[in-house]
Amino acid sequence: MKKGMTKFELLTCIVVVLAIAVGVASLLMLDVTGKGGNRLRGDFVYDIGDQVVVDPALILYDELAESIKTGLEATRAIAVDNGGNVYVAGGAKVVVFDGAGQQINKFDFGGDVGCIALGRDGLVFAGVKDHVEVVSPDLSKRVSWGSLGDRAVLTSIAIDEDYVFVADAGNRVVVRYDMQGEVVGYIGRRDEDRNIGGFVIPSPYFDIAVADDGLLRVVNPGAHRIEAYTFDGDLEFSWGKAGSDIEDFCGCCNPVNFAIASDGSFITCEKGLDRVKVYGADEKFVGVVAGPEQLIGKGNAAVCQTPAQCQSGGFDVAVDAAGKVYVLDTIKNVVRIFEAKGGGQ
Amino acid sequence: MADKDKNVSRRNFLREGVWGALLGGVGIGGGVVAVKSAKGDTVWQIDPDKCTQCGNCATYCVLEESAVKCVHAHELCGYCDLCTGYLEPEPPGLDTGAENELCPTGAIKRKFVEDPYYEYHIEEPLCIGCGKCVKGCGAFGNGSLYLQVRHDRCLNCNECAIAVACPSEAFKRVPASDPYILKGEH
Repeated sequence: MKKGMTKFELLTCIVVVLAIAVGVASLLMLDVTGKGGNRLRGDFVYDIGDQVVVDPALILYDELAESIKTGLEATRAIAVDNGGNVYVAGGAKVVVFDGAGQQINKFDFGGDVGCIALGRDGLVFAGVKDHVEVVSPDLSKRVSWGSLGDRAVLTSIAIDEDYVFVADAGNRVVVRYDMQGEVVGYIGRRDEDRNIGGFVIPSPYFDIAVADDGLLRVVNPGAHRIEAYTFDGDLEFSWGKAGSDIEDFCGCCNPVNFAIASDGSFITCEKGLDRVKVYGADEKFVGVVAGPEQLIGKGNAAVCQTPAQCQSGGFDVAVDAAGKVYVLDTIKNVVRIFEAKGGGQ
Repeated sequence: MADKDKNVSRRNFLREGVWGALLGGVGIGGGVVAVKSAKGDTVWQIDPDKCTQCGNCATYCVLEESAVKCVHAHELCGYCDLCTGYLEPEPPGLDTGAENELCPTGAIKRKFVEDPYYEYHIEEPLCIGCGKCVKGCGAFGNGSLYLQVRHDRCLNCNECAIAVACPSEAFKRVPASDPYILKGEH
Protein backbone atom coordinates (compact mmCIF):
# COMPACT_ATOMS: atom_id res chain seq x y z
CA MET A 1 0.00 0.00 0.00
CA LYS A 2 1.23 3.39 -1.02
CA LYS A 3 0.96 6.12 1.53
CA GLY A 4 -0.05 9.72 0.52
CA MET A 5 -0.45 11.06 -3.01
CA THR A 6 2.04 11.06 -5.76
CA LYS A 7 3.14 14.36 -7.31
CA PHE A 8 1.00 13.62 -10.35
CA GLU A 9 -2.10 13.04 -8.24
CA LEU A 10 -1.42 16.21 -6.27
CA LEU A 11 -1.06 18.21 -9.48
CA THR A 12 -4.27 16.72 -10.82
CA CYS A 13 -6.08 17.67 -7.65
CA ILE A 14 -4.81 21.25 -7.86
CA VAL A 15 -5.88 21.53 -11.50
CA VAL A 16 -9.34 20.16 -10.70
CA VAL A 17 -9.78 22.52 -7.73
CA LEU A 18 -8.65 25.48 -9.86
CA ALA A 19 -11.03 24.51 -12.67
CA ILE A 20 -13.94 24.31 -10.22
CA ALA A 21 -12.97 27.68 -8.73
CA VAL A 22 -12.79 29.29 -12.17
CA GLY A 23 -16.14 27.73 -13.08
CA VAL A 24 -17.81 28.98 -9.91
CA ALA A 25 -16.26 32.43 -10.33
CA SER A 26 -17.50 32.57 -13.94
CA LEU A 27 -20.99 31.62 -12.87
CA LEU A 28 -20.94 34.24 -10.14
CA MET A 29 -19.73 36.91 -12.57
CA LEU A 30 -22.28 35.99 -15.24
CA ASP A 31 -25.00 38.65 -15.25
CA VAL A 32 -28.33 36.99 -15.76
CA THR A 33 -30.29 39.56 -13.80
CA GLY A 34 -29.96 42.48 -16.19
CA LYS A 35 -28.49 44.69 -13.47
CA GLY A 36 -25.29 44.99 -15.45
CA GLY A 37 -27.10 46.90 -18.17
CA ASN A 38 -27.74 46.05 -21.78
CA ARG A 39 -24.11 46.23 -22.96
CA LEU A 40 -25.27 47.99 -26.14
CA ARG A 41 -23.09 50.52 -27.93
CA GLY A 42 -23.79 54.18 -27.35
CA ASP A 43 -25.53 54.65 -30.69
CA PHE A 44 -28.22 52.18 -29.58
CA VAL A 45 -29.18 54.41 -26.66
CA TYR A 46 -31.84 57.10 -27.05
CA ASP A 47 -30.24 60.18 -25.58
CA ILE A 48 -31.76 63.64 -25.38
CA GLY A 49 -29.87 64.58 -22.26
CA ASP A 50 -28.49 67.75 -23.84
CA GLN A 51 -31.95 69.01 -24.70
CA VAL A 52 -33.27 68.43 -21.20
CA VAL A 53 -30.96 71.05 -19.75
CA VAL A 54 -32.19 74.64 -20.00
CA ASP A 55 -29.85 77.59 -19.56
CA PRO A 56 -30.77 78.91 -16.07
CA ALA A 57 -30.52 82.46 -17.38
CA LEU A 58 -33.51 81.76 -19.62
CA ILE A 59 -35.75 80.68 -16.75
CA LEU A 60 -37.79 83.73 -15.87
CA TYR A 61 -40.21 82.23 -13.35
CA ASP A 62 -40.08 80.71 -9.89
CA GLU A 63 -42.37 77.91 -8.82
CA LEU A 64 -44.39 78.59 -5.70
CA ALA A 65 -43.89 76.10 -2.90
CA GLU A 66 -47.55 75.20 -2.66
CA SER A 67 -49.28 73.39 -5.52
CA ILE A 68 -52.97 72.56 -5.78
CA LYS A 69 -53.59 68.87 -5.24
CA THR A 70 -56.62 68.24 -7.40
CA GLY A 71 -57.60 64.84 -6.01
CA LEU A 72 -58.61 63.98 -9.57
CA GLU A 73 -57.37 61.22 -11.84
CA ALA A 74 -56.51 61.61 -15.51
CA THR A 75 -56.47 65.40 -15.36
CA ARG A 76 -56.72 67.00 -18.77
CA ALA A 77 -57.55 70.71 -18.79
CA ILE A 78 -57.26 73.87 -16.71
CA ALA A 79 -58.84 77.32 -16.78
CA VAL A 80 -58.65 80.36 -14.50
CA ASP A 81 -61.44 82.91 -14.05
CA ASN A 82 -61.13 86.64 -13.43
CA GLY A 83 -61.40 86.11 -9.69
CA GLY A 84 -58.38 83.83 -9.60
CA ASN A 85 -60.39 80.64 -9.16
CA VAL A 86 -58.85 77.60 -10.81
CA TYR A 87 -60.97 75.08 -12.74
CA VAL A 88 -59.48 71.64 -13.38
CA ALA A 89 -60.99 68.87 -15.51
CA GLY A 90 -60.13 65.26 -14.79
CA GLY A 91 -62.13 62.24 -15.84
CA ALA A 92 -65.80 63.21 -15.84
CA LYS A 93 -65.38 65.93 -13.23
CA VAL A 94 -64.49 69.59 -13.13
CA VAL A 95 -63.37 70.84 -9.74
CA VAL A 96 -63.05 74.52 -8.80
CA PHE A 97 -60.43 75.77 -6.34
CA ASP A 98 -60.11 79.24 -4.83
CA GLY A 99 -56.86 81.18 -4.75
CA ALA A 100 -55.84 79.38 -1.56
CA GLY A 101 -56.26 76.00 -3.20
CA GLN A 102 -59.48 75.10 -1.36
CA GLN A 103 -62.17 73.29 -3.32
CA ILE A 104 -65.24 75.52 -3.71
CA ASN A 105 -67.31 73.77 -6.37
CA LYS A 106 -67.56 70.56 -8.35
CA PHE A 107 -69.32 69.47 -11.54
CA ASP A 108 -69.88 65.96 -12.83
CA PHE A 109 -70.44 65.72 -16.57
CA GLY A 110 -70.98 61.97 -16.73
CA GLY A 111 -68.35 61.49 -19.44
CA ASP A 112 -64.66 62.26 -19.92
CA VAL A 113 -64.08 66.00 -20.11
CA GLY A 114 -61.41 66.88 -22.67
CA CYS A 115 -61.50 70.66 -22.36
CA ILE A 116 -63.09 73.51 -20.45
CA ALA A 117 -63.64 77.24 -20.89
CA LEU A 118 -65.33 79.90 -18.81
CA GLY A 119 -68.07 82.14 -20.18
CA ARG A 120 -70.04 85.08 -18.91
CA ASP A 121 -71.94 84.78 -15.62
CA GLY A 122 -69.72 81.96 -14.50
CA LEU A 123 -70.97 79.54 -17.15
CA VAL A 124 -68.72 76.53 -17.56
CA PHE A 125 -68.32 75.12 -21.08
CA ALA A 126 -67.00 71.57 -21.20
CA GLY A 127 -66.07 69.44 -24.19
CA VAL A 128 -67.34 65.96 -23.34
CA LYS A 129 -65.90 63.63 -25.98
CA ASP A 130 -68.05 64.61 -29.00
CA HIS A 131 -70.19 67.49 -27.75
CA VAL A 132 -70.27 70.61 -25.62
CA GLU A 133 -72.09 70.90 -22.32
CA VAL A 134 -72.83 74.22 -20.65
CA VAL A 135 -73.62 74.48 -16.95
CA SER A 136 -74.27 77.38 -14.63
CA PRO A 137 -72.18 77.68 -11.45
CA ASP A 138 -75.09 76.69 -9.22
CA LEU A 139 -75.96 73.77 -11.55
CA SER A 140 -79.45 75.23 -12.07
CA LYS A 141 -78.99 75.27 -15.84
CA ARG A 142 -77.42 72.60 -17.96
CA VAL A 143 -77.52 72.45 -21.76
CA SER A 144 -76.07 69.83 -24.11
CA TRP A 145 -75.16 70.90 -27.61
CA GLY A 146 -75.36 68.49 -30.54
CA SER A 147 -72.78 65.81 -31.22
CA LEU A 148 -70.08 66.50 -33.79
CA GLY A 149 -70.05 62.84 -34.82
CA ASP A 150 -68.36 59.58 -33.89
CA ARG A 151 -64.92 60.81 -34.91
CA ALA A 152 -65.11 63.95 -32.80
CA VAL A 153 -62.55 64.45 -30.03
CA LEU A 154 -63.00 67.86 -28.44
CA THR A 155 -59.73 69.25 -27.12
CA SER A 156 -60.23 72.98 -26.62
CA ILE A 157 -62.90 75.66 -26.31
CA ALA A 158 -62.43 79.41 -26.79
CA ILE A 159 -65.12 81.98 -26.09
CA ASP A 160 -65.61 85.39 -27.66
CA GLU A 161 -68.43 87.83 -26.87
CA ASP A 162 -70.65 86.40 -29.61
CA TYR A 163 -69.20 83.03 -30.51
CA VAL A 164 -67.88 79.82 -29.06
CA PHE A 165 -65.08 78.05 -30.90
CA VAL A 166 -64.50 74.36 -30.39
CA ALA A 167 -61.38 72.48 -31.50
CA ASP A 168 -62.22 68.99 -32.76
CA ALA A 169 -58.98 66.97 -33.03
CA GLY A 170 -60.79 63.95 -34.44
CA ASN A 171 -62.19 65.85 -37.41
CA ARG A 172 -59.21 68.24 -37.56
CA VAL A 173 -61.33 71.35 -37.64
CA VAL A 174 -62.41 74.25 -35.46
CA VAL A 175 -66.18 74.59 -35.20
CA ARG A 176 -67.70 78.04 -34.71
CA TYR A 177 -70.94 78.16 -32.74
CA ASP A 178 -73.23 81.01 -31.77
CA MET A 179 -74.06 81.36 -28.09
CA GLN A 180 -77.14 79.17 -28.49
CA GLY A 181 -75.06 76.25 -29.70
CA GLU A 182 -75.88 76.48 -33.40
CA VAL A 183 -72.99 75.76 -35.77
CA VAL A 184 -72.29 78.83 -37.89
CA GLY A 185 -69.01 77.86 -39.55
CA TYR A 186 -65.86 75.80 -39.75
CA ILE A 187 -62.25 76.96 -39.62
CA GLY A 188 -59.11 75.29 -40.91
CA ARG A 189 -60.36 72.73 -43.38
CA ARG A 190 -57.85 72.12 -46.14
CA ASP A 191 -58.58 74.60 -48.92
CA GLU A 192 -55.90 75.36 -51.49
CA ASP A 193 -57.86 78.31 -52.87
CA ARG A 194 -57.68 79.97 -49.45
CA ASN A 195 -54.08 78.86 -48.89
CA ILE A 196 -55.11 76.66 -45.97
CA GLY A 197 -53.12 73.46 -45.68
CA GLY A 198 -55.26 71.94 -42.95
CA PHE A 199 -54.40 70.91 -39.44
CA VAL A 200 -51.89 68.12 -38.78
CA ILE A 201 -52.95 66.53 -35.49
CA PRO A 202 -51.10 63.28 -34.74
CA SER A 203 -52.33 63.04 -31.16
CA PRO A 204 -55.32 64.48 -29.27
CA TYR A 205 -53.76 67.87 -28.56
CA PHE A 206 -55.27 70.74 -30.51
CA ASP A 207 -55.59 74.03 -28.64
CA ILE A 208 -57.23 77.34 -29.50
CA ALA A 209 -57.67 80.79 -27.93
CA VAL A 210 -59.14 84.12 -28.96
CA ALA A 211 -56.60 86.95 -28.81
CA ASP A 212 -57.30 90.60 -28.08
CA ASP A 213 -56.63 91.46 -31.74
CA GLY A 214 -59.87 89.68 -32.63
CA LEU A 215 -58.18 86.72 -34.32
CA LEU A 216 -58.49 83.11 -33.32
CA ARG A 217 -55.15 81.46 -32.53
CA VAL A 218 -55.03 77.76 -33.39
CA VAL A 219 -52.16 75.38 -32.72
CA ASN A 220 -51.25 73.30 -35.76
CA PRO A 221 -49.18 70.80 -33.75
CA GLY A 222 -47.87 68.61 -36.56
CA ALA A 223 -46.71 71.75 -38.35
CA HIS A 224 -45.15 73.09 -35.12
CA ARG A 225 -46.82 76.46 -35.37
CA ILE A 226 -49.60 78.67 -34.10
CA GLU A 227 -51.89 79.99 -36.82
CA ALA A 228 -54.09 83.09 -36.71
CA TYR A 229 -57.54 82.96 -38.36
CA THR A 230 -60.35 85.41 -38.76
CA PHE A 231 -63.66 84.19 -37.40
CA ASP A 232 -64.68 83.57 -41.02
CA GLY A 233 -61.79 81.17 -41.45
CA ASP A 234 -59.24 83.20 -43.38
CA LEU A 235 -55.66 82.34 -42.47
CA GLU A 236 -53.89 85.61 -41.66
CA PHE A 237 -50.44 84.50 -40.52
CA SER A 238 -48.61 81.88 -38.48
CA TRP A 239 -45.49 81.57 -36.38
CA GLY A 240 -43.28 78.89 -34.82
CA LYS A 241 -40.99 76.22 -36.24
CA ALA A 242 -39.83 72.70 -35.49
CA GLY A 243 -36.58 72.12 -33.66
CA SER A 244 -35.07 71.18 -30.36
CA ASP A 245 -33.54 74.60 -29.72
CA ILE A 246 -35.20 76.37 -26.85
CA GLU A 247 -37.00 78.88 -29.08
CA ASP A 248 -38.43 76.11 -31.31
CA PHE A 249 -41.15 73.52 -30.81
CA CYS A 250 -39.69 70.06 -30.28
CA GLY A 251 -40.73 66.52 -31.19
CA CYS A 252 -43.35 65.41 -33.67
CA CYS A 253 -46.19 67.66 -32.60
CA ASN A 254 -45.95 70.68 -30.40
CA PRO A 255 -47.01 72.89 -28.72
CA VAL A 256 -49.77 70.83 -27.16
CA ASN A 257 -51.42 73.68 -25.29
CA PHE A 258 -51.06 77.42 -24.85
CA ALA A 259 -52.60 80.40 -23.08
CA ILE A 260 -52.62 84.11 -23.89
CA ALA A 261 -51.71 86.51 -21.08
CA SER A 262 -53.33 89.90 -20.56
CA ASP A 263 -50.31 91.63 -22.16
CA GLY A 264 -50.78 89.54 -25.31
CA SER A 265 -47.84 87.21 -24.69
CA PHE A 266 -48.16 83.47 -25.29
CA ILE A 267 -47.43 80.77 -22.72
CA THR A 268 -46.84 77.46 -24.51
CA CYS A 269 -46.65 73.86 -23.28
CA GLU A 270 -44.67 71.15 -25.07
CA LYS A 271 -44.89 67.42 -24.45
CA GLY A 272 -42.11 64.87 -24.74
CA LEU A 273 -39.53 67.41 -23.75
CA ASP A 274 -41.84 69.05 -21.24
CA ARG A 275 -41.24 72.77 -21.51
CA VAL A 276 -43.39 75.76 -20.63
CA LYS A 277 -42.16 78.85 -22.45
CA VAL A 278 -43.09 82.47 -23.02
CA TYR A 279 -43.33 84.20 -26.39
CA GLY A 280 -44.08 87.91 -26.63
CA ALA A 281 -47.13 89.40 -28.31
CA ASP A 282 -44.81 89.81 -31.30
CA GLU A 283 -44.37 85.99 -31.30
CA LYS A 284 -40.68 86.22 -30.42
CA PHE A 285 -39.23 83.86 -27.81
CA VAL A 286 -38.88 85.59 -24.45
CA GLY A 287 -37.89 82.91 -21.95
CA VAL A 288 -38.81 79.80 -20.02
CA VAL A 289 -41.37 79.32 -17.27
CA ALA A 290 -40.12 75.81 -16.48
CA GLY A 291 -37.99 73.23 -18.27
CA PRO A 292 -37.96 69.42 -18.24
CA GLU A 293 -35.70 69.21 -15.19
CA GLN A 294 -38.16 71.26 -13.15
CA LEU A 295 -41.29 69.68 -14.53
CA ILE A 296 -40.26 66.03 -14.69
CA GLY A 297 -37.21 65.61 -12.53
CA LYS A 298 -33.73 66.99 -12.06
CA GLY A 299 -30.94 64.95 -13.60
CA ASN A 300 -33.44 62.79 -15.44
CA ALA A 301 -32.09 62.55 -18.98
CA ALA A 302 -35.10 60.58 -20.16
CA VAL A 303 -38.12 62.82 -20.35
CA CYS A 304 -40.49 59.99 -19.47
CA GLN A 305 -39.82 56.47 -18.26
CA THR A 306 -43.03 54.50 -18.45
CA PRO A 307 -45.60 54.40 -21.25
CA ALA A 308 -48.16 55.86 -18.85
CA GLN A 309 -45.88 58.83 -18.16
CA CYS A 310 -45.17 59.34 -21.84
CA GLN A 311 -48.82 59.33 -22.80
CA SER A 312 -49.95 61.66 -20.03
CA GLY A 313 -47.17 64.18 -20.42
CA GLY A 314 -49.20 66.78 -22.29
CA PHE A 315 -49.48 69.48 -19.66
CA ASP A 316 -52.07 72.27 -19.89
CA VAL A 317 -51.53 75.88 -18.94
CA ALA A 318 -53.55 78.90 -17.88
CA VAL A 319 -52.56 82.41 -16.88
CA ASP A 320 -54.41 84.81 -14.58
CA ALA A 321 -54.86 88.55 -14.85
CA ALA A 322 -51.75 89.17 -12.73
CA GLY A 323 -49.58 87.04 -14.99
CA LYS A 324 -49.33 84.08 -12.65
CA VAL A 325 -48.91 80.89 -14.68
CA TYR A 326 -50.84 77.75 -13.68
CA VAL A 327 -49.42 74.52 -15.12
CA LEU A 328 -51.61 71.43 -14.90
CA ASP A 329 -49.20 68.56 -14.28
CA THR A 330 -51.15 65.68 -15.82
CA ILE A 331 -48.69 63.10 -14.49
CA LYS A 332 -48.99 64.06 -10.83
CA ASN A 333 -52.50 65.53 -11.22
CA VAL A 334 -51.55 68.75 -9.44
CA VAL A 335 -51.60 72.40 -10.43
CA ARG A 336 -48.15 73.95 -10.21
CA ILE A 337 -48.03 77.71 -9.91
CA PHE A 338 -45.27 79.93 -11.29
CA GLU A 339 -44.62 83.61 -10.71
CA ALA A 340 -42.31 85.86 -12.66
CA LYS A 341 -39.00 86.35 -10.88
CA GLY A 342 -38.95 89.65 -9.03
CA GLY A 343 -42.74 89.77 -9.07
CA GLY A 344 -43.00 91.32 -12.53
CA GLN A 345 -44.88 89.76 -15.42
CA MET B 1 -47.27 -30.17 -9.69
CA ALA B 2 -44.98 -27.91 -7.92
CA ASP B 3 -42.73 -27.72 -11.01
CA LYS B 4 -45.75 -26.95 -13.23
CA ASP B 5 -46.87 -24.17 -10.90
CA LYS B 6 -43.36 -22.89 -10.87
CA ASN B 7 -43.26 -22.82 -14.74
CA VAL B 8 -46.67 -21.16 -14.99
CA SER B 9 -45.69 -18.65 -12.40
CA ARG B 10 -42.53 -17.73 -14.33
CA ARG B 11 -44.53 -17.38 -17.57
CA ASN B 12 -47.13 -15.28 -15.78
CA PHE B 13 -44.44 -13.19 -14.25
CA LEU B 14 -42.88 -12.50 -17.67
CA ARG B 15 -46.26 -11.78 -19.27
CA GLU B 16 -47.31 -9.49 -16.48
CA GLY B 17 -43.90 -7.89 -16.51
CA VAL B 18 -44.22 -7.06 -20.19
CA TRP B 19 -47.71 -5.67 -19.65
CA GLY B 20 -46.52 -3.70 -16.69
CA ALA B 21 -43.63 -2.25 -18.69
CA LEU B 22 -45.98 -1.37 -21.52
CA LEU B 23 -48.45 0.34 -19.19
CA GLY B 24 -45.62 2.12 -17.43
CA GLY B 25 -44.28 3.33 -20.77
CA VAL B 26 -47.68 4.57 -21.81
CA GLY B 27 -48.05 6.34 -18.49
CA ILE B 28 -44.64 8.00 -18.72
CA GLY B 29 -45.25 8.91 -22.36
CA GLY B 30 -48.62 10.35 -21.49
CA GLY B 31 -47.09 12.32 -18.66
CA VAL B 32 -44.40 13.76 -20.94
CA VAL B 33 -47.01 14.70 -23.55
CA ALA B 34 -49.16 16.27 -20.85
CA VAL B 35 -46.25 18.32 -19.51
CA LYS B 36 -45.25 19.38 -23.01
CA SER B 37 -48.84 20.31 -23.80
CA ALA B 38 -49.11 22.31 -20.61
CA LYS B 39 -45.95 24.26 -21.53
CA GLY B 40 -47.25 24.70 -25.05
CA ASP B 41 -50.37 26.40 -23.71
CA THR B 42 -48.46 29.56 -22.90
CA VAL B 43 -45.71 31.57 -24.57
CA TRP B 44 -43.58 34.53 -23.53
CA GLN B 45 -44.68 38.02 -24.46
CA ILE B 46 -43.92 41.65 -23.57
CA ASP B 47 -46.57 43.84 -21.99
CA PRO B 48 -46.08 47.14 -23.84
CA ASP B 49 -47.63 49.06 -20.96
CA LYS B 50 -44.82 47.90 -18.67
CA CYS B 51 -41.89 47.91 -21.09
CA THR B 52 -39.35 50.67 -20.41
CA GLN B 53 -37.19 49.96 -23.49
CA CYS B 54 -34.14 49.23 -21.33
CA GLY B 55 -32.34 47.49 -24.22
CA ASN B 56 -31.95 44.15 -22.43
CA CYS B 57 -34.14 42.38 -25.00
CA ALA B 58 -31.41 42.92 -27.58
CA THR B 59 -28.63 41.31 -25.55
CA TYR B 60 -30.07 38.81 -23.08
CA CYS B 61 -31.93 36.50 -25.48
CA VAL B 62 -30.25 33.10 -25.83
CA LEU B 63 -30.54 33.49 -29.60
CA GLU B 64 -27.71 35.30 -31.34
CA GLU B 65 -30.33 37.56 -32.94
CA SER B 66 -33.00 38.33 -30.36
CA ALA B 67 -36.53 36.99 -30.76
CA VAL B 68 -37.76 40.43 -29.72
CA LYS B 69 -38.55 42.84 -32.55
CA CYS B 70 -40.13 46.23 -32.89
CA VAL B 71 -43.67 46.18 -34.26
CA HIS B 72 -45.87 49.04 -35.40
CA ALA B 73 -49.51 49.78 -34.59
CA HIS B 74 -50.44 51.75 -37.70
CA GLU B 75 -53.82 52.72 -36.28
CA LEU B 76 -52.07 54.60 -33.45
CA CYS B 77 -49.43 56.23 -35.65
CA GLY B 78 -49.60 59.93 -36.41
CA TYR B 79 -47.86 59.39 -39.77
CA CYS B 80 -45.68 62.36 -38.87
CA ASP B 81 -43.06 63.82 -41.16
CA LEU B 82 -40.93 64.66 -38.14
CA CYS B 83 -41.23 61.19 -36.61
CA THR B 84 -39.25 60.93 -33.39
CA GLY B 85 -39.11 57.15 -33.70
CA TYR B 86 -37.52 57.45 -37.12
CA LEU B 87 -35.35 60.57 -36.92
CA GLU B 88 -32.50 61.47 -34.59
CA PRO B 89 -33.47 63.97 -31.86
CA GLU B 90 -31.57 66.70 -33.69
CA PRO B 91 -31.37 65.47 -37.29
CA PRO B 92 -29.28 67.39 -39.81
CA GLY B 93 -32.22 67.04 -42.21
CA LEU B 94 -35.74 65.66 -42.39
CA ASP B 95 -35.09 63.01 -45.01
CA THR B 96 -34.07 59.38 -45.34
CA GLY B 97 -30.35 60.07 -45.11
CA ALA B 98 -28.59 57.58 -42.84
CA GLU B 99 -27.22 60.44 -40.77
CA ASN B 100 -30.78 61.45 -39.89
CA GLU B 101 -32.08 58.02 -39.01
CA LEU B 102 -32.48 57.08 -35.37
CA CYS B 103 -32.24 53.31 -35.87
CA PRO B 104 -28.57 52.25 -35.89
CA THR B 105 -29.38 49.25 -38.10
CA GLY B 106 -31.69 51.13 -40.48
CA ALA B 107 -34.57 48.81 -39.70
CA ILE B 108 -37.31 51.43 -40.05
CA LYS B 109 -38.42 52.38 -43.56
CA ARG B 110 -40.74 55.18 -44.47
CA LYS B 111 -42.94 55.82 -47.47
CA PHE B 112 -44.55 59.09 -48.53
CA VAL B 113 -48.34 58.96 -48.37
CA GLU B 114 -49.47 62.55 -48.95
CA ASP B 115 -48.21 65.89 -47.75
CA PRO B 116 -47.23 65.91 -44.87
CA TYR B 117 -47.84 62.26 -43.98
CA TYR B 118 -45.45 59.30 -44.07
CA GLU B 119 -46.04 55.62 -43.39
CA TYR B 120 -43.48 53.66 -41.38
CA HIS B 121 -42.77 49.94 -41.27
CA ILE B 122 -40.19 47.68 -39.66
CA GLU B 123 -37.74 45.52 -41.64
CA GLU B 124 -37.68 42.74 -39.08
CA PRO B 125 -34.48 41.01 -40.26
CA LEU B 126 -32.61 44.26 -39.48
CA CYS B 127 -34.23 44.92 -36.11
CA ILE B 128 -32.32 43.73 -33.03
CA GLY B 129 -35.01 44.73 -30.50
CA CYS B 130 -32.98 47.46 -28.78
CA GLY B 131 -36.08 49.65 -28.37
CA LYS B 132 -34.38 52.92 -29.28
CA CYS B 133 -37.12 53.85 -31.74
CA VAL B 134 -39.77 52.79 -29.22
CA LYS B 135 -38.31 55.25 -26.74
CA GLY B 136 -38.36 58.09 -29.28
CA CYS B 137 -41.90 57.32 -30.40
CA GLY B 138 -43.22 57.01 -26.86
CA ALA B 139 -41.51 60.13 -25.57
CA PHE B 140 -42.91 62.53 -28.16
CA GLY B 141 -45.43 60.65 -30.25
CA ASN B 142 -48.29 58.23 -29.75
CA GLY B 143 -46.29 55.17 -28.77
CA SER B 144 -47.27 53.28 -31.91
CA LEU B 145 -43.86 51.56 -32.06
CA TYR B 146 -43.41 48.86 -29.42
CA LEU B 147 -41.57 45.63 -28.74
CA GLN B 148 -42.99 42.12 -29.07
CA VAL B 149 -41.59 38.59 -28.89
CA ARG B 150 -41.84 37.13 -32.39
CA HIS B 151 -42.96 33.53 -32.08
CA ASP B 152 -41.48 32.42 -35.37
CA ARG B 153 -38.13 32.97 -33.64
CA CYS B 154 -38.72 32.46 -29.90
CA LEU B 155 -37.66 29.09 -28.47
CA ASN B 156 -40.15 29.52 -25.61
CA CYS B 157 -37.54 28.56 -23.00
CA ASN B 158 -38.90 27.50 -19.64
CA GLU B 159 -36.86 30.23 -18.01
CA CYS B 160 -36.58 33.04 -20.53
CA ALA B 161 -33.24 34.82 -20.14
CA ILE B 162 -34.79 38.17 -21.11
CA ALA B 163 -37.62 37.72 -18.62
CA VAL B 164 -35.05 37.22 -15.86
CA ALA B 165 -33.17 40.34 -16.96
CA CYS B 166 -36.27 42.48 -17.49
CA PRO B 167 -36.23 45.30 -14.91
CA SER B 168 -39.90 46.21 -15.25
CA GLU B 169 -41.48 42.74 -15.19
CA ALA B 170 -42.87 43.39 -18.63
CA PHE B 171 -42.21 39.79 -19.71
CA LYS B 172 -45.03 37.44 -18.95
CA ARG B 173 -46.59 34.23 -20.18
CA VAL B 174 -49.70 34.58 -22.32
CA PRO B 175 -51.96 31.94 -23.89
CA ALA B 176 -50.41 30.39 -26.99
CA SER B 177 -53.76 30.87 -28.69
CA ASP B 178 -53.42 34.66 -28.21
CA PRO B 179 -49.65 35.10 -28.31
CA TYR B 180 -49.34 38.87 -28.92
CA ILE B 181 -50.29 41.89 -26.82
CA LEU B 182 -51.23 44.25 -29.60
CA LYS B 183 -51.51 47.94 -28.80
CA GLY B 184 -54.10 48.77 -31.39
CA GLU B 185 -56.47 46.28 -29.78
CA HIS B 186 -56.28 47.93 -26.33
